[in-house]
Amino acid sequence: MNRLGWVIRFLFRRGRFEDELAAELHYHYERQVEQNMAGGMSRAEATRQAAILVGGTEQLKDDCRDARLGRWIETLAQDVRYGIRVLAKNPGFSLAAMLTLALGIGANTAIFSVVYGVLLRPLPYGDGERLVVLHQDAPKANVLGFRFSVKEIEDYRAQNHTLLGVAEHHTMSFLLVGKNSAERVETAVVSANFFDVLRVKPLLGRTFVAADDRPGAPAVLILSYQYWQAHQGGDPHILGKVFQMNNRPHTVIGVLPLIPQYPVESDVYMPTSQCPTRSSAEFIANRNARMMDLFGRLKPGVTLAEARADLAVIAANMQKSYPEIYLAADGYRVRANALRDDLTRRARAMFLVLLGVVGFVLLAACANVANLFLARLLKLERELAVRAALGASQARLMRQLLTQSLLLALGGGLAGVSLAPAALGVLTGFAGRFTTRAAEVRMDAPVLLFTFLMSVGTGIVFGLAPVLTTRGWLGTAFQQAGSRGTASRGRSRLRSALVVAQVAFSVILLAAAGLMIRSFVKMQQVRPGFAADQVITMRISPGMPPYTMATVRLLGKRILDRIRQAPGVESAAMATTFPFNPMGLVFGPSQNQYVVQGRPRGEEEPTMTTDVRVVTADYFETLRQPIVRGRSLTQHDCELNSPDVVVVNQMLARSRFRGEDPIGKRVSFDKGRHWAEIVGIAADTREYGLNQPAVGEIYGALKEGFVNRLLVRSSGAAEPEARMVQAAIHEIDPLVAVDQVQTVEHAEYESLASPRMMTFLMGIFAGLALLISASGIAAVMALTVSQRTREIGVRMALGARRSSVVRMVVRQGMMLTAAGIAVGSAAAALLTKLLAGLLYGTSPRDLPTFVAIPVVFLVVAAVACFVPARQATSIDPLAALRQE
Amino acid sequence: MAKPKADLLQGTLDLLILKTLELEPMHGWGITQRIQQLSESVLQVNQGSLYPALHRLEERGWIRAFWGNSENNRHARFYELTARGRKQMAQEKEDWLRLSGAVARIVGT
Repeated sequence: MNRLGWVIRFLFRRGRFEDELAAELHYHYERQVEQNMAGGMSRAEATRQAAILVGGTEQLKDDCRDARLGRWIETLAQDVRYGIRVLAKNPGFSLAAMLTLALGIGANTAIFSVVYGVLLRPLPYGDGERLVVLHQDAPKANVLGFRFSVKEIEDYRAQNHTLLGVAEHHTMSFLLVGKNSAERVETAVVSANFFDVLRVKPLLGRTFVAADDRPGAPAVLILSYQYWQAHQGGDPHILGKVFQMNNRPHTVIGVLPLIPQYPVESDVYMPTSQCPTRSSAEFIANRNARMMDLFGRLKPGVTLAEARADLAVIAANMQKSYPEIYLAADGYRVRANALRDDLTRRARAMFLVLLGVVGFVLLAACANVANLFLARLLKLERELAVRAALGASQARLMRQLLTQSLLLALGGGLAGVSLAPAALGVLTGFAGRFTTRAAEVRMDAPVLLFTFLMSVGTGIVFGLAPVLTTRGWLGTAFQQAGSRGTASRGRSRLRSALVVAQVAFSVILLAAAGLMIRSFVKMQQVRPGFAADQVITMRISPGMPPYTMATVRLLGKRILDRIRQAPGVESAAMATTFPFNPMGLVFGPSQNQYVVQGRPRGEEEPTMTTDVRVVTADYFETLRQPIVRGRSLTQHDCELNSPDVVVVNQMLARSRFRGEDPIGKRVSFDKGRHWAEIVGIAADTREYGLNQPAVGEIYGALKEGFVNRLLVRSSGAAEPEARMVQAAIHEIDPLVAVDQVQTVEHAEYESLASPRMMTFLMGIFAGLALLISASGIAAVMALTVSQRTREIGVRMALGARRSSVVRMVVRQGMMLTAAGIAVGSAAAALLTKLLAGLLYGTSPRDLPTFVAIPVVFLVVAAVACFVPARQATSIDPLAALRQE
Repeated sequence: MAKPKADLLQGTLDLLILKTLELEPMHGWGITQRIQQLSESVLQVNQGSLYPALHRLEERGWIRAFWGNSENNRHARFYELTARGRKQMAQEKEDWLRLSGAVARIVGT
C-alpha cells in the first residue's frame, strides 16, 4: 500500500518531486564547492572539481527516480510488453482463450445488465426505496391481494401514522375520439398526490394538484413519455392541446419523463374526479366496490415493519367496525411490501436462476482457460528455466505469468462486452414480460465495473492455478533445463481436476436445461380443452356516450348478426374475455363472491369466490369447448325477459357440488337478490395459460349491456378475415374502436412465451458450456498425446496396433469425463431443486433427464477424445524415438 | 520479510547510512562527511550511489525525509530513521558483524 502511495504521489506530484530532487543535489554540489575552496582551490577550479565529483546530474536524477519507482512501473510495463509479445507469438492459444472467456464474460455481462437494471438499480423515483405497496387479503377464503374501495382508502389515509402520503391508482381504457375514428387509450386514474408520492417530476408542464381532483374541476391529462413519443410525435407544444374523452374536452397539462410506470404501463393519466365510475356517488359510498391499487411513502425514520404494525391496527379496527364486510370466517389483513420488490417479484426467480447459470458457464470457461494456460506453460518450461537461471527471481516470473493471464482476461472481457449488447435486446424483451422495469436495462458504469472486476477476478482465478503449481517446480526446472521437461505429478493431477471441473459444471447446466426442456415439452402437450385454431379475436369499444346501456346492447346484436352472415364465418360470439388473454395471464382469475341457493354459509365457512365470464350465445360453439352435461347458452337465454341462466365448468362442479348434480341448482352474485340457474356443465379449459391449472368458472349469459371481446371462428385465413370483420364493424359505426386483433392460437403460443424463452436461454448456455468443455477435453488429450509421443512411438515400434493406441487415449479421456459426470450429476441433483418453481409436471430429479444427460455427454466426449487419439496413431515410431 | 541479499556493496552502504542516521537526522552531504570522518577517509561515499540509496531507503519506509535548515543556515533535505529503519539497522548490523567476524577469522589466521 505504501508503495502504491509512492507511485501515486510520484505520478501526480511529479513536478514537486523533481524540484526537491534538484534542490537536494544542488545543496550537495554547493557544499562540495565550498569544501574545495576551503581546501585552497580557486572558485573556478573548485566548481570544476565539484562537478566531476558529483558526476552527471541527470544520470544521478534518473537513478533516484528509479529507486522510487523502479521495480513498480518499470517492471509492470516490461511485464505487460513481454506478456503481449508472448501472447501474440501464440495466436492460436491466445485467441482460443480469449474467445472462451469472451463467451463466458459476455453472457454474464448481458444477464447482469438485466439483473442490475431490474432487480438492483435504485428505483428512478426520488428516494424510491421508501415506497410501499399495500395489499388486502382474505387468507381463509384463499383470496390474496384484492383491491381497495374508496372507503378503505379513506380509512388508511386518515388513520395511519407512518406514511407520508397514500396514493391510489386504477386503470381504465377510454376512447379518445377523433374526427372519423376512435382509439382506445390505457388510462391510469390516480389521486392528485400520485406523482408527489412517487416524487416524479414532469418532463413538460406540471403534475396534478389537489384542485384538479375536486369534483367539477376542468378535465386535465398527463401523457406518458412513450405515448407522447409514439402517438403525438413528441410534439414539444403538446401542452394545452385538447382531447375528447368520455364526451368531455380534456386538456394536456404535462408529459412524464421516461420512467417505469407502476403498476402497469399507461398511455395517459387523469385525476380520480374525471373517471365516470370512480367519481359516482354510489361507487364512492360502497365499501365493497374495490378497484384501486394503493401505495404510499414511509415517513422519514419509519421502518417497513413499523408501517406494517401501524396498518395492521387500522385493519383490525375496520374489521371490528364492519364485521359484515370483513367476515371473520374469511380473515382479513393488510400487507405492505417495498415497491421495488413488488415491481420485480415475477422477474426475480428467473433472472437469479439465469445469473447462476451464466456463473457456471464462466466457471467452465475459467477451468478451460486455466487448462490451456497450464498446457502452454509446459511448452514454456524451458524458457522459464533459462530465465530463472539468468537471475530472474521466482516472484518476477510468477508475476509475468499472472500478467499474461490478466491480459487474456481483460482482452476476453473487452470482447465479451462487445458481444453482450447482441443478447441484451432479447433479454430485455424477456424481462419486459415480468416487469415494467425492463425499460431501465442498459449497460452503464455499474455494469461495466462489474464486468471489469469479473474479468480481473477471472484472470486471477485461471491464472493462479497454473502459477501456484509453478512455484514448486521452478527450482527443479533449473536442473532439467537441458532435458525435455516431464510433467510433474502435481500438474497433471491439476489438469485432470480442471477437466473434471469443466465437465461437472457443464453437466449441471445440461441437467438444468434438460429439465427445462422436459418441462416445456410437457407444457406443450397440455390440451387447452377447446380448439384454438381458426378463431380470431378483437376488442370492440363503443363510446359511452353516445351509446347508452340500452343502445349498446343493440349494437352488440347488430355486430354479431352482421358477422354471422359474412362469408367464411362459422360462428361468432362476444364475451368479457377469451382464453389466453394476455392481460388475464398477468392478473390471473377474478375472484367474484357467490352463493349457492339452499346452501347457507356456516359461521366458520369462508366466502366462495369464482372466476366469471359473461358471454353471448354461441360462445362454447365458437371455441368448440364441449358441454359435457346439460345444455349450452342460447340466443333465447340472452333475451331481456328470459330467466337468468349460467353454465359452470367441471372444475367448479367438482369442487363445489361434490357428488351432487349442479344442474338445476341456482347461484347468486348479489347475496340472493338475483338467482341464476345452472343449465349446463362445460369442459375445463386452460384459460390462464397451458402451464396453469384450470380454475373454477361460471359462464353467465349476457342479457343487458355489452361485452367487448369478439370471437369469430371462420374457415378462411386469419388476416383477411380479421380485416373483413373490422370493416363490417366500421360500416355499422366508424366511431367504434377496434383493437387487440389476434388469433387465439397466437395467444395460446404466447402464453408459453416466457417458459419458451427461459428454456431457450438455458439451452443456449448449457450448449455453450458443453462446447467449452468438449474443446477442453480435446485440448488436454492432444497435450497428453504430444507429451507421450515417445512412449506411443515405443509402443508402436514394439507392435502395438493403432486401435489399441486409440483405445488407450480415448480411455484416459473418458475416465476424466466419467468422473466429471459423476461429480456434476451429484451437484445437479442438489442444485436443480432451485428450479422447482419453474418446472411444470417435471420433478427436479427427473430420472430420464439424469440418464440422458450423461449419455449425451459421453458421446460428445468420445468424439472430443477421438480426434487427438487419431493423431496419436499417426506418430511415426522412428521419428518419435529420434526426437531425443 | 527477509529481502534477498543484494550485492554486498549496496547492502553495506545501506547499513552505513542507517548507522549514520541513528544519532541524529542529517542531510546527504552530512552523511558523506560523517562516513568519511568516522572511517578515517577509508570509505569515500560516491554521490552517485548515495542519493539513489537514500531514495530507495525512503521508499522502503526505513528513513523519512524533511526539509530543514542546515548548520550553515541553508535549506536542506534531512533524513531521519523511522522505527522500521531502526529495526532493519539492528538486523543488518548483526548480519554484518557475523559476516565480518567470520571473514576476519578466516583471513586473520
